[in-house]
Order: sequence, then structure tokens, then C-alpha cells
Amino acid sequence: MQTIRLFLASLLLCLSLLGAAWLQSRQPRPVSLLPTLTGQVEYCLTCHADLPEISPSHPVETFGCVLCHGGERLALDADLAHSTMRGGRNPSEFAVVEASCGSGDCHSGTAQDQRDHIQRAVTSVQGTYAGAIASIRFTYGAQSDQTARLGVYPVQDDHLTTATGLASLGTFDPSQESSPSVKAFADYCLDCHLSAEPLPGAQYARLTGCAACHTPTANTDLDQPVHHLTTAIPYTQCNTCHNRGNYDLRQMQFHPRTDQPVDRLHDYYQPIAQFVRCEWTLDCVDCHTRFEAMGDGDIHSNKKEIQYIQCRTCHGTLDELPLTRTIAGQDDLALRMAFLNPVIDLKVGDTVLVTEQGEPLWNTRQLADGAFELFGKATGQRFTFRPVMGTACEQKLDQQESRDCHECHSVKR
Amino acid sequence: MKANPTRPSFFHHLHPPTIPAPQARFRYTLGAGGLSVYLVLLLVITGILEMFFYVPSPGEAAESVQTLAFLVPYGWLVRNLHYWAAQLLVVVAIIHLLRVVFTGAYAPPRRFNYLLGLALLLLSLLLDFTGYVLRWDEGVQWALVAGTNLVKSIPILGEGLYRLVVGGTQPGPAALIRFYAWHIFGLTLALVGVGAWHLFRVRRDGGIAVPPPEARRDASRISRFELVRREALAAILATAVLIVVASILPAPIAPPIREGSPLAAEARAPWFFLWVQQLLKWGDPFIFGVLIPVMVIVLLAGIPYWLPNPRPDELGRWFPAGNRAASLLLVILVIILLLLTILALSPLSTFP
Amino acid sequence: MNKKQGPVSKLHRRDFIMVALKGTLGLSSTLGLIGLIRFLGYQSDPAPQTEFELGPASNFPPGSRTPVPEAQAVLYHMPAGFIALSLVCPHLGCVINSVEQGYACPCHGSRFDAQGQVLNGPAREPMRVLRVEQTPGGQLILYTG
Repeated sequence: MQTIRLFLASLLLCLSLLGAAWLQSRQPRPVSLLPTLTGQVEYCLTCHADLPEISPSHPVETFGCVLCHGGERLALDADLAHSTMRGGRNPSEFAVVEASCGSGDCHSGTAQDQRDHIQRAVTSVQGTYAGAIASIRFTYGAQSDQTARLGVYPVQDDHLTTATGLASLGTFDPSQESSPSVKAFADYCLDCHLSAEPLPGAQYARLTGCAACHTPTANTDLDQPVHHLTTAIPYTQCNTCHNRGNYDLRQMQFHPRTDQPVDRLHDYYQPIAQFVRCEWTLDCVDCHTRFEAMGDGDIHSNKKEIQYIQCRTCHGTLDELPLTRTIAGQDDLALRMAFLNPVIDLKVGDTVLVTEQGEPLWNTRQLADGAFELFGKATGQRFTFRPVMGTACEQKLDQQESRDCHECHSVKR
Repeated sequence: MKANPTRPSFFHHLHPPTIPAPQARFRYTLGAGGLSVYLVLLLVITGILEMFFYVPSPGEAAESVQTLAFLVPYGWLVRNLHYWAAQLLVVVAIIHLLRVVFTGAYAPPRRFNYLLGLALLLLSLLLDFTGYVLRWDEGVQWALVAGTNLVKSIPILGEGLYRLVVGGTQPGPAALIRFYAWHIFGLTLALVGVGAWHLFRVRRDGGIAVPPPEARRDASRISRFELVRREALAAILATAVLIVVASILPAPIAPPIREGSPLAAEARAPWFFLWVQQLLKWGDPFIFGVLIPVMVIVLLAGIPYWLPNPRPDELGRWFPAGNRAASLLLVILVIILLLLTILALSPLSTFP
Repeated sequence: MNKKQGPVSKLHRRDFIMVALKGTLGLSSTLGLIGLIRFLGYQSDPAPQTEFELGPASNFPPGSRTPVPEAQAVLYHMPAGFIALSLVCPHLGCVINSVEQGYACPCHGSRFDAQGQVLNGPAREPMRVLRVEQTPGGQLILYTG
């Protein structure tokens, strides 16, 4: 009798051990990755092996996943593994960007090393929204001039390089404002800076932080993860904030554009806008420079202080040819940018256009006959154009605003 | 299984040749003492296996636990077995304490052995606590800080004791290594030593508490071989049940303690110290966190000395009339501790 | 139950149960042992490096003999090309020292000539020859695997 009980108990023991063996066989086989930059093995690929490579400059064998995303590299339980991830699905959110994209070896550092991306983005007007805030507060009497004092987050800059750079911005706090219009501005108009969550709708679909521009998500379902970083930013990504409608400053209301465009010509700019052919054929990034889009490192009060590209930057004037520079060495910024987005096969010795501030327009090249070629950064399309000098252009030298060129060259829709 | 009655094996020899059958029944002892011994054995074995992978250094401790839990074949089983066996040991030890008091089995000559048993309960709690800290993850951080600061709150001896326990001015690498040394060696050695003494005293005091021969209604006895067979049955069953539990319920795990680890809105003490955490919500750390728990222990220890003991002929059954006071005291104590534990689980914002 | 089968049937049943008991206990022990071996067989340390980038071939002129400490090897630029000798002693694995006319192991006294052949000592095999490859860009890569 006792022996039967012992037998049944050992049978139970056997079955429990078999059960444990079965559970062990059901565990996912760990897939390890030893990134060369960290030297610490990670097992994220056990579940995420089907994720595409995020960009050619961030190969997973070198970076791994944890260096950028955080998370528990050894855990195979999803909740634990993801518990310490920075910024959830987006490690480039400004709250955590320094730990994810920054640190001395990567995108944070000094302008001399050309590693100041985070410093520039965080102080940029698109990041601080200082321009909109200062204009509204000035308009409604909350401040006496248009110099910015407040941003959507506090920021400091100890190293000023331009005449209009500011030392710091405080935080814009609607509860401290007395004007009801300024308060209404805070309620309705703060959806379009780099750390703001976008309005609902595929046309506004973007992430925040660096990914707001560098991860193309426009017109997609934001719930679907997009694991992609690029410098070939199409105009649609800029249009998740820009060209989306108009603000009524009296009512403090945003009126989204209501047209249903079916082609690029009608989709690019708002129905009321005026533009020339290259402005809708090229993408925004083909003209607007690194300083304009990401900031020059200084805190500015208004986008007018940072936007400086004009038609004549590429086309010159009747009197002057556009500025150029010949690439002298392998370290030239133009070569590095062209390497990241190889729409153009730049080489040492090529001559590229440069802006008045010395920024290379690395997607351009001077041709033997004095004309220029330009390659679209997002489309790869090639265009050629001649400088204005020596043509039948009727421009006046003191009228170089875009509306002046639009007089003759604007496109009819 | 063919045992030779005239030349019993070492293991059989550890047991008395025969013991009274009624008191050997499960419904009398609940097998709690024996189960405790078995659980300690299981803990030592699974603990040794964990030592092949655990690293007692703050930067690597929690990650080595993750390695065990996710990457080592059957590591999850070893870890979960160790965790559940440990919690079960505390529960079973308390059940054994309850049984001993409710059956009056602490009466002379067993009073000293009762104290040894209490010491074993305390050692088990300390082992549970030190093991808990070794996880070095966000779940244990505040228990470590609060627990070691409680030591500091003791007058006169507090600072010195704290330095002894923590090995520095605040919990860090030195504290982890000391907790590790205590857990795998210091406390285990003490547990095994006091445990062996406890088992020896069981035999020397006459085995399981029974009435004297003239008061026994049932004089039947079982042999040592039958006793060992029953123990083997219990051990095999307990192993199977623990394996099933370990396969279904994982041991807790949380992100490692790192610089900039987020602060918890509410930090919970390990379940067996929740009653102390509740007490601490009410005031002075020394009084509520050290003095009162010590008084509870002293109260328990005093039961055989200060309260009426059962008569010898009352032994061998549950709730004899002779030790009603002791049983009542213990029931009240248990209810209070349970209430404190339940209160501790309520959110911090609501009183008490 | 067949009443005609007396003590004999009881014996068979008892034996059967005993065999079944021993069987299940044996099976449990075997399963436990297999699990234990798999448990202890897990390797947490990452595999050591087996490829080493040595730099441009021009750094190592012909006839040079350059120690590569991180790979525990010595790089030779011979007339025929690049070759490397492993400084891990073929006897029991100590790292061999370079001496005047060759190599000497500090542990048990094995001596080798400049080509890695055994001169004396408990070692019986010569120093291991390692593969060196040159990339199209002129970079040397040493393989110790």
C-alpha cells in the first residue's frame, strides 16, 4: 500500500519534471548580438530579428539596440526587457535624447567637432517655439519687444556666436499669463514644435525629438512602428507641421487647409501660396540648410534671424556669380554629407555652391561650362541651371526677396 | 528498499527504532517540521546551483539574475524553486510553531528546544530577507535602505551594528557582498547548526510529544522504516508540487538598481515584513520597527515559561485544556500580525 | 479477482509495483541529471576575439619580427609573405617569451628556435602557425581561430 503511494508520488514527480522539460523546450532560443561599440551581449534580436536596419550609418552589428534604446539587454520577458527603454518607442524624444543620441562620441559635443546636433536642435526655433511665443506675447502686450524670453522648455546657451543669439529662455507657463489671448494661444496653438505630440490625423503624423524630421512617417498610421532614420527628408515630412493651414489670431483658432490635393503641385503648398517651379519640384531640404533647419547653436527670437537662403544663393545676381568652394580634402563637410546620402558622387576637387555663411550646398556641383547641376536629396532627380549673370533676367539688385522673383517666375496652379 | 532490521543504514539510524503511531499521523503533526527540513535541503541545493551564475557586485547582480531567469537552460526552474521553497519554508515554519503551541509540545523537557525552533524561524526570516536583497533590483532598493536604517535606529549599538551589517556609510558594493556572505554562508551555517541541534534535542527529549504510556489509548507504534517511507513520500510529493508551482509562477524580477533609477510611488516590504512596515507608518523607527518586533519575539519565547503548561497526560493531541492561555495568546498574536499585514497592503494615502 | 491465484499473484503485483517505483525514480533522476548538465553547461562569457586588425602592411617592413601582444602572437614579414607564430605554448598554454635566438617558455622550460621549431623542453609540437591575410586596401588581418 505504502509502495503504491510512493510509486504514484514518483510518477507525479516524473510528470512534473517532464512538464518542466517541455516548458524549457518552448522557451525562445536566445539570439545573441555582440555590438562592437559596447562589448556587452544583447538578446533583443530573439524577438526583433525582423526589424529593418535603421540606417546604413547605424549598423546593428556595431551599435546593437541598447546603446540607443536602453532596455534590459539580457531579459527575454517583454515587460522586463522594455521597462528601462528610453522614450518608449522613440529614444530621440528631447527628454532623453542626450542619453540616447548624445554622449561625447556621438551627436552631442562642440561645433568644432561638428558634433553639436543635439545642442543645435534643442536651441533651434523649431524646438523652443520662441518665435511664436514672443510674437504672440508682444502682440497682446505681455512683453514690450519682440525679443524672446520664453520657450516651451527652459534652455541655456553659454556660447553665443551670432549677434542675435540669446543666453537663455525660461518656460512659457500659461498660468502665469494674464492676457486671455495668450492663454488661448497656449491652449490651441502649441501642437507644432519638436517636443509636441502631433494633432491626430495621418497628415500630421510625426514623432517628436530628432525623429520628428529624420524618421519619415507622414501620411502613415503612427501606431505602426517605423524603424528608419534618414537625412533624405521628403517635403511631406516637413508638411506634418508646415503648410497645414492658417491661424486666426483674433479667435486664436487654427483652420486646417481643406483642399484634397492629388498631385505634388497641389499638395506641397497651401492653396493661397505663391511659389516658383523649383520650390515645388525640389524638397525643402534641397534648399534650406543645416543651420536653417536644425539651428546654428544659438537661441534666436524669430525664424527671420535664422532663415537666410534666397534664390540668389544658388542663382547669383546679374552682377555676381553665386558663391562656390572647391573641395580640398577628405574631411570636407560636403563629402561627409554626400557620403551619408549618396545622390551625388562628390569627389575631392569638385566645386560646390556655398551659402553666405559658408554652409556647403553639397547636393550641387559646378559643371565645366559654368552651369550647375543639383540632385534632389529625397528624390535623386538631377537638375541643371545657369547663373543669372548674362541672362535676360529683369531683376533689380535691391529687390532680392522671394516675392520679387515670384513676380515673373511664379507658377500658376 | 530492502532494509536490514539488525543493521539499519545511517539514515534509518537517525530515526528512533519505533514511534507511537497516533502521533506519527499527518493530522497530528501536519508534517510541518519534517517538511521544513526538506525545504532547507532543497534550498541549499538550488542555492548552490544559483551560485554558479550569480555575481554579487552591484553592476552585475541583477543582470546575473536575468541571465539565470532567461538564458540558462532550466535556470528559471532553479530560481523559481529557490524562491518558492524559501517562502514556503517561512510559512511551514510558522505552521510548525502554531502546531507546537496548539498541542502544548513545548512543555518541559522541550522548552529549550522550543527556543531553538524560534531561533530557526528568525534565521529563516533573515535568510529570506538577505536573499531578497541579493536581487539588487528596483523592487528591493527601499527595503534595503529602510531595513539597514532600522539597525541604525538602535540606541548606543546602532551605529556600530550598521557598520557591521552594511560595511560602509551607505548600502553599496560592500553591503551587497556582506549580505551575500551572510546569506550563503553565515546564516546558512547557523541554520544548519541550530537545526542539527534542534533535531538532536527532538530525539533526546523523547521524540514527538506524546502522553505517558499509561495515558495512551492507542498503544500501536510504527517502525523507523515505515517512518522513513512516509518522509520519502512527503519529500517526493513536495518536490513534485514545488516543480509545478515553479513552472507556473515565476519569482519576482525587476529592472536593476542603477544611477537614475526611477523612484517608486510606493515601496513595499517583502511580504513577511509587511507587518513591520505597517507599524513603521505610526511613528518612531526604533520603537515601532525594533522594539515592538523584539517584544513579539520575547512574548513567543516566554510562552513555555510564563503561561500554564499542559499536563503530561494531555500531550499528543490538539488544544488540550491545560494550555488554553497559550493557544489564545498565539491566536490573538497571529490575528494582529495578519491585520497589520493586510493594512500594510492598502495604499499609502489612506489612513492608517 | 481470481481466488485460485494465492500468494503467487500477490508476489507478482508487489514486484511489479516495486519495479514501477524504481523505474519512475530512476527516470526522475535521469531527467534531473540531464537538466543539471544542461544547466551547468551554459556559457555566459562571450567567445574570445579571433580576428585582429594589425594595420597597413607598410607598417611591417620585410624581414621584421613584430610582437602582437593582444593576439598573443608574433608577426613575421618573410620574403614569401606575412606569417605569424602563436606565442601560446603548445605544451600547456603559457605565453612564451621572446629570447635572443628564438623563444623560451617560463613555465616548464620549453625552448623554440626563431622558426618556432622545438629545441628542447616538455613541448613536443612546434609553435602554432597563424594565418595572416591582406585586404585589398593593404590592411593586415591576423586570424587566431
